Amino acid sequence: MALLTRQLLNRGRCPIPNDNKKIWGIGGFRENLYINVERREKEDHRKLILPLTQWKQQVMQTCSATCENDQIGIFVAAGDDIEPLLPFLSVIPLLALDFPVFDDGRSYSKAVQLRTCHFYLGELRAVGDILIDQVSNMIRCGFDTLEVTHSLTQVRLAAHSGEFFTGFYQSGAKLVRSGQRRVWYTFG
Amino acid sequence: MYRYDEFDKAFVAARVAEFSDQVKRRLAGELTEDEFRPLRLRNGVYLQLHAYMLRVAIPYGTLSSRQMRKLAHIARCYDRGYGHFTTRQNIQFNWPRLVDIPEILSELADVEMHAIQTSGNCIRNITSDHFAGVAADEITDPRPYAEILRQWSSLHPEFSYLPRKFKFAIIGAQTDRAAIQLHDIGLRLNRNAVGELGFSFYIGGGQGRTPMVAKLLHEFIPVENLLHYATAIVRIYNLYGRRDNKYKARIKILVHETGFGQLREDIDVEFAALKRSERYDLTLLQADIEAINAYFCTPDLENHPNGRDTLVSLRLKDQAFDCWVDKNVTRHKHPDYAIVTISLKAIGGIPGNATAAQMDIVADLAERYSYNELRVSYHQNLVLPYVALQDLYAVYNVLVASSLASANIGQISDIIACPGLDYCSLANARSISIAQQISTRFSRPGYQEKIGEIQLNISGCINACGHHHAGHIGILGVEKKGTELYQLTLGGSAGNRCSIGEITGHGFAADEIVDAVETIIHTYLSLRIDHGEPFIDAYRRIGMMPFRQALYGTADKTAAE
Repeated sequence: MALLTRQLLNRGRCPIPNDNKKIWGIGGFRENLYINVERREKEDHRKLILPLTQWKQQVMQTCSATCENDQIGIFVAAGDDIEPLLPFLSVIPLLALDFPVFDDGRSYSKAVQLRTCHFYLGELRAVGDILIDQVSNMIRCGFDTLEVTHSLTQVRLAAHSGEFFTGFYQSGAKLVRSGQRRVWYTFG
Repeated sequence: MYRYDEFDKAFVAARVAEFSDQVKRRLAGELTEDEFRPLRLRNGVYLQLHAYMLRVAIPYGTLSSRQMRKLAHIARCYDRGYGHFTTRQNIQFNWPRLVDIPEILSELADVEMHAIQTSGNCIRNITSDHFAGVAADEITDPRPYAEILRQWSSLHPEFSYLPRKFKFAIIGAQTDRAAIQLHDIGLRLNRNAVGELGFSFYIGGGQGRTPMVAKLLHEFIPVENLLHYATAIVRIYNLYGRRDNKYKARIKILVHETGFGQLREDIDVEFAALKRSERYDLTLLQADIEAINAYFCTPDLENHPNGRDTLVSLRLKDQAFDCWVDKNVTRHKHPDYAIVTISLKAIGGIPGNATAAQMDIVADLAERYSYNELRVSYHQNLVLPYVALQDLYAVYNVLVASSLASANIGQISDIIACPGLDYCSLANARSISIAQQISTRFSRPGYQEKIGEIQLNISGCINACGHHHAGHIGILGVEKKGTELYQLTLGGSAGNRCSIGEITGHGFAADEIVDAVETIIHTYLSLRIDHGEPFIDAYRRIGMMPFRQALYGTADKTAAE
């Protein structure tokens, strides 16, 4: 693990470290169990998030996703294809899908594909430019957690009752009126 | 027409509350204009040349008398007494104050209307045939499917941040009256060999600076797979559509750059995966369709078998009425009824504009003579879909008294035009004044009739909101060295034989363009086989050369430029 980390420190891009980042999910803010690869040397008690390109190289080198990979989450840039991940989804604990700007919607589709077509059961995390007005869409697309930097969004989420989903048409996507049933429950 | 159920009402109310909060945050300075922009656009609020503009959806162009009266009320109380009906079955109010918009939306919600997704990079208002449900040539009414698509696409969690706007149009008739091949997705209901209902999917049509006619992606998708296939297309577009250049971000460019065959393969792979997925079952069940159908109150039309005789004798007595019936009245699927198109193209008027008083009068007419129902056409006219033949004369007389009886549907003065530089912050040139001059020029008695069926469209800039590419004669306003110039195109068409117009040559100044149009008309009149050959047929037969020769004194394209 340590060797791998050192190798990775010298490569590629990961999200910019930011001390103001907070992890939020339904139920409120929570501890971040992961650390981006750049910061690994300073704080190595936490699990690691690798960019997809580096993870791919590693898999190619070892010809498998080794058992230690259940400690490694993967950062998937908005333009990355999720195809290489598909055979390994059962051992990947976390996928961090990027929103480089708030109106880049590619990661919504990837989240839905991962949940509904590829049955990904690990943690789906939204990272990047996240504002309060996207939170509902993200949860409805199957994200578990959001990495929030925007301070006003943090304030609004902190003040939030957790009940801002008042009803949407896509519940079950079968035009079945869901009453109180929340749409993301259909993702299992 | 469709009535909201409890869920629809709660949904719209929640959205009004959400946007009211966003407006409050903007006015308090908590949101920057950049952050507010996508939120207001999602609710139909644009920042225009002089003020905010609110665009309200009229889903698939159907509205009730009560809804029309509410639009009149909004025009009167929050605007300057009028509204502008657009080419996508919306209405625009040009002068609302931002602070009033939450209240306007709340008033609209009272009559089951909204402005959700009338702008922004999302799936826009689903448009349809303005004669849906009443046309004699219809296979089936497309509006229940339009409503299903409206619900499916409203605040869709996956498709709210697409690379660019995305437009659906759907028809259920032989004749395409909704320009489906000029949409990102065009749908035509049809039946297969064993009589099952399904959809032909057209993809990648659009106007703007890169006009393209949509291609047939799939001949027959069964009704139960409507949402699977629509989701597959929009998902592939969301994932792979360009986001680096807004002028290359529409799906037509993805079709062009990926290659039609490859893109179809990609869509088919996604379609297959969606059909397999048990966790995201998009299968449209017959029970779901029937549930939606039940909320459409299609009127039970009474028989009035004597109406035809009454109509014949009135037409003989009143020549102006006869002319109006000839131009503005269309055959209904019920033999005792007719479809009335009310022209919003008064000679010298502003195409698509209606005053609050006119909206009220049309609402009254619909209430009294058309089972409370109205339609808005993409040609920017209004339609009374259920008028008994015996009532036509009464309707006509009210319209005459309200300056709404222009007998010019399908004529040269039935101009499609965008608001242009008079309102729009994108425009390079004025559209309205050119439309006014053209309709005035051709208004002398007998002249329009002599010219016959023709579509003339005007856009004030390359974004083509006035559909100039699809006009038999198209006029595009451009700006060159600080002056307004008008470029002419010929041979565009939006219907079953959809085509993009060809540019004649160099543009004309504002004081030359009407003469240039008249030159084209004179050329056509002198070259057509007879009165029965419409402009577009003549153009397709003889081509551009004689027109170019008449306009520029040369048939050579390069010399004309």
